[in-house]
Amino acid sequence: MKTKTKKKILPWLFIAPTFFFLGMFTYYPAFRSLFLSFMRMNMATPEPVFTGLDNFKRAFSTPLFWQVAGNNLFYAFVTVPITMALALALALLVNQKIFGSSFFKTTYFYPNVIPMAAASMIWLYIFLPGYGFLNYLLGKIGIPSIEWVSDSRFAMWALIIVAIWKNAGYYMVIFLGGLQQLPTEIYEVATIDGASAWRKFWKITWPLLSPTTFFAFIIAVINSFQAVDQIYLMTRGGPANTTNMFVYYIYQVAFKYWDFGYASALTVILLVLLLIFTMLAFFFMERRVFYESGERL
Amino acid sequence: MIVFAVILAFPLYWIVVTAFKEPTEVFSMIPKWLPEKWTLDNFKEVFNIIPFGRYYFNTILYAFGLLAVQLITVTLAAYAFARMDFRFKKILFMILLVQLMIAPQTLIVPNYMTISNMGLLDTKTAIALPYVASAIGVFLLRQGFAAIPRELEEAATIDGCGTFRFMISIAIPLLKPTYLAFTLISVTYHWNEFFWPLIVTDSVKARTLTVGLAMLAEASESAAAWTLLMAATLLVILPLIVFFAIFQKTFISSFMQSGMKG
Repeated sequence: MKTKTKKKILPWLFIAPTFFFLGMFTYYPAFRSLFLSFMRMNMATPEPVFTGLDNFKRAFSTPLFWQVAGNNLFYAFVTVPITMALALALALLVNQKIFGSSFFKTTYFYPNVIPMAAASMIWLYIFLPGYGFLNYLLGKIGIPSIEWVSDSRFAMWALIIVAIWKNAGYYMVIFLGGLQQLPTEIYEVATIDGASAWRKFWKITWPLLSPTTFFAFIIAVINSFQAVDQIYLMTRGGPANTTNMFVYYIYQVAFKYWDFGYASALTVILLVLLLIFTMLAFFFMERRVFYESGERL
Repeated sequence: MIVFAVILAFPLYWIVVTAFKEPTEVFSMIPKWLPEKWTLDNFKEVFNIIPFGRYYFNTILYAFGLLAVQLITVTLAAYAFARMDFRFKKILFMILLVQLMIAPQTLIVPNYMTISNMGLLDTKTAIALPYVASAIGVFLLRQGFAAIPRELEEAATIDGCGTFRFMISIAIPLLKPTYLAFTLISVTYHWNEFFWPLIVTDSVKARTLTVGLAMLAEASESAAAWTLLMAATLLVILPLIVFFAIFQKTFISSFMQSGMKG
């Protein structure tokens, strides 16, 4: 009897610390944001006052909100496909078991290990107008010096370049994981049948790898919607808000204007977007488990 | 292959050479591939201008202190999810995995309020608290614990081995590689963390290296400071690069296993 109750209670004791902190710093804050999003709470009104949907109405009628949303969408849907394509290309290159491939794997992966804060510093220096290295290279092919981070036409591209450089190696590793699970027999048969490398890629690798691709894509989109370090360090959302994105906008509203009510509404909007992407990912993971009938999740 | 490697590796090369250059060399219109005169002055200057030693200490204490706590919470939860039966297990695991999708910077507003209410602003504890529950850690170790055969546990039970003894003397030692993988992921992630520490810290006593680096960048707007900034950047990433060089295989395979960031 005693061991039976012990068996019942023990797992709950084991998961208690994790769920206590998970509740306190992930779920409670999410619901608190929801609660505060219906309140006015700012410098003039430090105690929250119920104002219904005012904060959301304000967001949807503010041009800056739509600019931020547009910027973030543009950033995500330019960065993610390019990163994926590059990562897949790198994974295919490294996956050939040729001499030195592990050295190249390391070289491609290292940007993922260093902090975004450090990466931002390095790239600010490379982007420097005048004596920056990138402009020197562009000068060699006759392109005049570009003010990468302070010209509204180029600032977003500067952030995109940094993100691709930083993350390509990470997704390469995800693709490598996928590639190494593909059955080798199919390739052998295809080679005997005289299929070209190009054909093998589109007819075998690409379709069989699609679960990994989709999964990586969702994760990358989710990460893109939470990008902030490089924005803070390189552009401060500028010039003229052309690189302002969700998290940075929330930060500005909350910690520059101390408008916690409106910032909470923005947090809720971002959480809803993330939730949609997450549900797509989960739905998909379930399916993957089902089809592969393996132990993996 | 080589072209990609050169492009991806160039920024690292560029910090290293710039960090050893004389400040005036930066102004050359034609970039210099190597410093004219190798100098350590930039590194000395970094330690003179900002309390870099203190930031190192803070970062190490935060990253490894947090890791120590995480190892306990993660081991317990992962073991329960892998080898015990309880109600709502599947749903609870899903609820936990949601954490992977929400980065702490997204919840800065409510979490800042929580930390502020607790009176913990500007402490290393404040930086660490949101990460005590680690979905990625539970996810990794759960797979490891689940792979230990039932027979081993049954044999141990017959020998009079209780749950705790089985965990400590058999299960955990079997999972050494998984623990190493989790350690690498956790330490790297927290060493690199920037936005949350920036928001909750306010003084030298709690700031981490990345935040210190940003402070230095803000303080030195003039272009002459680039050699200094690159020296500071190099100091921030050096331990990571060294670690990565030593454990490169483990690093890459642990990120492959995790399949997710966090």
